[in-house]
Amino acid sequence: MQREFIRNFSIVAHIDHGKSTLADQLLLRTQAISDREFQEQILDDLEVERERGITVKARAVAIYYDYPGPSTDAQLPAGTAPPPPGRYELNLIDTPGHVDFHYEVSRSLAACEGALLLVDAFQGVQAQTVANAYAAIEGNLEIIPVVNKIDLPVTRIDEVLNEVETILGLDAATALRVSAKQGLNIEDVLRAIVERVPAPRGDSAAPLKALVFDSKYDDYRGVVTYVRVKEGRLAKGDRIRFMKGATTHEITDLGQFRPHMTPCESLGVGQVGYIITGIKALGNVHVGDTVTHAGRQAAEPLPGYKQPKPMVFCGMYPIDATDFENLREELEKMSLNDASFTFAPETSDALGFGFRCGFLGMLHMEIIQQRLEKEADVDLIQTAPNVTYEILKRGGSLVQIDNPVDTPDPGEIEEFREPIAKVTFIVPSKNIGTIMQLCEDRRGTYKSTEYMGPDRAQLIYELPLAEIIYDMHDKLKSATQGYGTMDYDVIGFRESDLVKLDILVKGTRVDALSTIVYRGFAERRGRALVKKLKEEIPKHQFEVALQAAIGAKVIARETISALRKNVTAKCYGGDISRKRKLLQKQKEGKKRMKQFGQVEIPQKAFLSVLDAGNDD
Amino acid sequence: MSRSESPRAVEPAIAPWGPPRAAYVHVPFCRHRCGYCDFTLIAGRDDLIDRYLDALALEIERELPGPVEVDTLFFGGGTPSHLSPDQLARLFGIVGSRISLVPEGECSIEANPLDLDNERLAALVQAGVNRVSIGVQSFQPGELRLLERDHTGIEARDAVRRVRRAIPNVGVDLIFGTPGQSLADWSASLEACLALEPAHVSTYGLTFEKGTSFWSRRERGALRQSPEDLEREMYELAMEQLPAAGVPQYEISNFARPGFECRHNETYWDARSCWAFGPGAASYLGGVRRQNHRSTTTWIARTLTREVAPPALVEELSPEDRAREAAMLGLRRTRGIDSAAFERRFGAAPRSLAGAAFERLVSAGWLEESSGWLRLTREGRCVADTVLMEFLSPL
Repeated sequence: MQREFIRNFSIVAHIDHGKSTLADQLLLRTQAISDREFQEQILDDLEVERERGITVKARAVAIYYDYPGPSTDAQLPAGTAPPPPGRYELNLIDTPGHVDFHYEVSRSLAACEGALLLVDAFQGVQAQTVANAYAAIEGNLEIIPVVNKIDLPVTRIDEVLNEVETILGLDAATALRVSAKQGLNIEDVLRAIVERVPAPRGDSAAPLKALVFDSKYDDYRGVVTYVRVKEGRLAKGDRIRFMKGATTHEITDLGQFRPHMTPCESLGVGQVGYIITGIKALGNVHVGDTVTHAGRQAAEPLPGYKQPKPMVFCGMYPIDATDFENLREELEKMSLNDASFTFAPETSDALGFGFRCGFLGMLHMEIIQQRLEKEADVDLIQTAPNVTYEILKRGGSLVQIDNPVDTPDPGEIEEFREPIAKVTFIVPSKNIGTIMQLCEDRRGTYKSTEYMGPDRAQLIYELPLAEIIYDMHDKLKSATQGYGTMDYDVIGFRESDLVKLDILVKGTRVDALSTIVYRGFAERRGRALVKKLKEEIPKHQFEVALQAAIGAKVIARETISALRKNVTAKCYGGDISRKRKLLQKQKEGKKRMKQFGQVEIPQKAFLSVLDAGNDD
Repeated sequence: MSRSESPRAVEPAIAPWGPPRAAYVHVPFCRHRCGYCDFTLIAGRDDLIDRYLDALALEIERELPGPVEVDTLFFGGGTPSHLSPDQLARLFGIVGSRISLVPEGECSIEANPLDLDNERLAALVQAGVNRVSIGVQSFQPGELRLLERDHTGIEARDAVRRVRRAIPNVGVDLIFGTPGQSLADWSASLEACLALEPAHVSTYGLTFEKGTSFWSRRERGALRQSPEDLEREMYELAMEQLPAAGVPQYEISNFARPGFECRHNETYWDARSCWAFGPGAASYLGGVRRQNHRSTTTWIARTLTREVAPPALVEELSPEDRAREAAMLGLRRTRGIDSAAFERRFGAAPRSLAGAAFERLVSAGWLEESSGWLRLTREGRCVADTVLMEFLSPL
């Protein structure tokens, strides 16, 4: 395929603004999929993500569009001649739509020359629209605004277009209006892609440079690596080198997704496809890496490579200690499919042998947890998540703390640092005060406010990541009746006055319940936490004291009174089955508890740290 | 601990449930549904009684092709005494056409204090009813009002006395833990009850059941459940006061003068077979538990059209689960379980069913084993569910 006839583009959107539906329509219109397949959302591979309506793993699909030539109202870039009619290869590169995957989004966009910015005709510009649009603007992409769902009974198209102009600085006059669901004006989208997205540039005679923008694990073929050729040519049988990974492999197979894997002989400048090299572990392929030839190497790798770092951690422990190895196998399986998920063995006094797992963010964690629940036959206890911390020790060494228990003694700490995120809120104007208060209460630093029209505004704050993972999203939703959205990006570490808060159950510290908190919040958090634990831990035959402490100083206390009465009054003919099942269920629930000394602590209690955030 | 240690009951040669020697008939009609009650009943639909009796006749004919003989027969509700004297006579006629009671057999009926006029009493006596369980619930006016009962304490007292002249074996049902009830109130109800010298007393801790108006009122905060400590003191008071007056405890909620224990209910706690008829009634035959549809109207409609409708529940447990259920039931009895006999019947030793928890329950003082019998201690009866739970599933 000549590069003049190639267009590479992404669709960026806020969740639920119709990205998958539009993608499917484009595939349907170009006969890449059948009507029946259209019914299923084929761009999302993993069931978990389909349920959440979030495309987490990028995927690239090549479609072929017969461009008839410009229409009368074609909006061609100034000073350019219309592209010639003919068959075009359009590569749709799907991007993860969520906050935890900023880096992956940026690499997918780096494989494109253009992006469709999809905005819901009623909901308008939302936090992720902004985040993704900025990422596309930073990547110098040609952006085509598309207002979707114009068939809705109530739309606010003019306001939405105004938002696109004021917040994103895009020319709203060039926006397309479609209904992906009804298949309305889809042809306009295809035509605009050909006319407005620049053809890829690059020297096909230069040494090979191909961008790795995604990878996935296939049970039969090993790692499938997604690449976009920037310069040179990539062919079957080539010996290639990953420049950052510094490994050399032979290409055993390559091809394109149309949308199913379709082998071909080679990929030229501008083309997008997959390579298979016999690599078995996803961890050995790095998104953002550059593929070159082992023999004739490129002088410089492509810019923008980063090693994504897990920012959120939690402990995962098998309830039955004999399941430890099973759990390890399951976690290995997860990491095969997801290179940004990490895990390492650790030991807890309370929970025994388990693993400390690292995630890019909260959503990433929830996805992995759900997949484990669904796919793994291991009963788990999860501890509440924490962010990663940096501690500068007296003597100058810098340590990373992924588990609060590992916090050194206060005497050894020179500087305690925590991750800070830049948070973008888009909220109804009338809620600005509430959201600002919410951020101030969570140690936020105000950055800016921008009005998007009479009713909505964009608010930017810098907030400690730890404050965001507690309950920021829930609080935002309830403060704005569901209309507010947020997006965040970790921008670095900053010194803060942090302390380790311990929980003592019946006089003994339960290490899995320790947390790191801001000193000014310690008392409030401690009180809320023991109160919450009191609700979660069932009554025992004896009184159970719950204490929150910083070092040796107890700052909050609750007592669970002893179990006094628990007996079913009636058990006659009709009651027997029901009663048996009820007690059986209760007993099953007990299995999910962890015996800690004389006290049984249910799994849920280990997550109370999270719920006990700020309510009192 | 490893899973292989969990006991595997083997099916003994003789079926543990035995031949059916008991029959239960559910009479679902009530004048009014009390706020705490979640039983299978229908209030204010007396127009259905005749069709109910038609359906009952059909069901009994269908289930019992020939006459059977039982040791115990129990008419429960709802409120069986709510039927008119004629309807009662018809009920007994229908049941008696297929089911006969052995001499010395026990025939019980549940009754509301106000229902038992002379005419109805005569119908009961005529039919051979020899045990009446009266739903008194309380002798305190405030509690009776809250419980939505239609009688006063005095009327209940009169009813017990009057019934006893015709049928000496009279039991009184009481409820404790009613919102607002004090320990002194409860003690007074127990005293008032004992003054009547009943043969049998049942004391039921009030339970908030989902779907009742009490449940939703509690959810709304309109009704406050008694504190756990107070409920325990009330239960302990019953366990002291009743035996001291010559009415010893024989099951978690039941007390009787020696020889007046309800033999029918002992069938359940002993996990033996039982026939059952009427809406919501659960039979246990050949090791299979089968529960009829709980809606009275649906049950009537299906039975009358001779529709072979799926029961609300059909349950045949594995030998191991059957043993677990039998332990749950047997331990409700004050005398407990004869371990050796239990193992012969169910193929598993009761203590093995609780696994590692057994020793913990014993050292907690909730469970005791002496001369081959395993039983809940008095402490253990207060937290029976916590103890019995351990017998229901291997850890």
